[in-house]
Amino acid sequence: MRRVLAFFAVVIAVSVAIAIVSVRNINRAVAGSDWVNHTHSVILETEGLRADLFIGDGAAHAFVLTGEPKDRSASVNALSNAAEHVDYIAALTRNEPAQKDGVTRLASLVDRRSDFIRRLLSSRQSNDSNAVHALLVQDSGETVLNDIQHSIEKLKNDELTLLTQRDTAAFIQAQTTRWTVWAGVILDFTLLAGAGLLIRDDIAARKRATDALQTLNYELEDKVKVRTAELAAANDQLKIENIERKWANLGLQHQLHYNQLMINSINDLVLLLTRAANITRVNAAVTRSTGWEPHELADRPFSSFATLTYDGPAPLIDPVTQAMNDGREIRDQHAVVIDKRGQKVAARMTLFPLRDGDKVVGSVIIIQAPGNGTPGGAAVATQT
Amino acid sequence: MKKHILIVDDEASILELLGAYLTNAGYRVTAVSTAYKAEEVAAKDKPDLVISDLQLENSDGLELIARLKSGLPDTPMILLTGVLFDAKFVHENLAKKVSCYIEKTSPLSRILGEVQRLLAS
Repeated sequence: MRRVLAFFAVVIAVSVAIAIVSVRNINRAVAGSDWVNHTHSVILETEGLRADLFIGDGAAHAFVLTGEPKDRSASVNALSNAAEHVDYIAALTRNEPAQKDGVTRLASLVDRRSDFIRRLLSSRQSNDSNAVHALLVQDSGETVLNDIQHSIEKLKNDELTLLTQRDTAAFIQAQTTRWTVWAGVILDFTLLAGAGLLIRDDIAARKRATDALQTLNYELEDKVKVRTAELAAANDQLKIENIERKWANLGLQHQLHYNQLMINSINDLVLLLTRAANITRVNAAVTRSTGWEPHELADRPFSSFATLTYDGPAPLIDPVTQAMNDGREIRDQHAVVIDKRGQKVAARMTLFPLRDGDKVVGSVIIIQAPGNGTPGGAAVATQT
Repeated sequence: MKKHILIVDDEASILELLGAYLTNAGYRVTAVSTAYKAEEVAAKDKPDLVISDLQLENSDGLELIARLKSGLPDTPMILLTGVLFDAKFVHENLAKKVSCYIEKTSPLSRILGEVQRLLAS
């Protein structure tokens, strides 16, 4: 971009220079043209002077011979015109010192000749033949006309020489102007062509950059689309997994709820024991029948809550533990339950070993206590 | 045209999760909480498949399915329940009444698989 601007700056500078040189040369050409016209005017005036002087002189001699007034009048008019020509020549050459002396001499000669002609016309007008004769004799020896001729020729040649010099100067000036303008134009066009090439290269580079950027944008958009699709798919998958996880939890809660519902709907006391015969869980009937809250019974030995009763001596080994060791049931045995107030309540107890595969991991105890105010009694389960 | 599935369950969380899952799988789902509403929907906008819970308020799923079958004899009916039955009971008592029996503890993908199988057939 800077190079292009520099090119245009140079083009403008060259154009301004051409304009300045051209205006100056045109002004010089105009001045030269004025000088040419001036020189032509001087030449024309000298030719006019020569013609009028000879007309005046011829008309005066004719008047001497014929005495016709028209000849006299023509001579007087020609002399008058010749005097005007001399004035014009003097005015046109007033700024030319080289011509000044010549013009002064010419004017003097013209005055002398005009004075002679006027005296001749006057003498013929008064029919003074002697005076006329004397003037004509005197004139035969005079060389004024030749001097005037020479002066006019010299003046004319000088002006032609000046004209030639000024023509040559004008031609050189025109040539200089022509070459200046053409050189400037060629230089400008060359610079413009260079600027055009630079602009073309710059546009091509910008287009390449734009295309590359566009390509990158497209690629980025594609990547964003792909990534967005991946994220959307991952989000959908997470949503599905979340629903599935909630569903699994719900299923377990549902199952647990129903199991709890079933256990708590039994009016017999149900207890779950560990393999060491400690209480881990109880149903709602336990609290209703004995007043014990579940947390008060948790991890307590079952023997502190209920014991089997025997008509004879009690066995040495705890029958509940023994039944779990043996993996056998105890069905409908007499037992005593100790409620929260410490009162012993007669009941009937059943034990089912709690099996996990081929192992006994605890037991379920069901206790029916007629005295607990319900048709059933109590039930308990054990577990390791 | 999306297949229309009618889900009946008295638990809002079941309706929400199952409905969202099947909708995501590309089905049009109508979820209702009572047998009465289920019959009303079935009459107005015939479902292509019915999934019903066993235990419903003032009714049960088997009874609802029996009533729906009278109007929609060719529509597959899935019984969904949290009550676990043994295989023998299912085979002897439920096979003739419902197209499929699924426990609520089953993963959703299995439910979807059954839905796709029944709708394809």
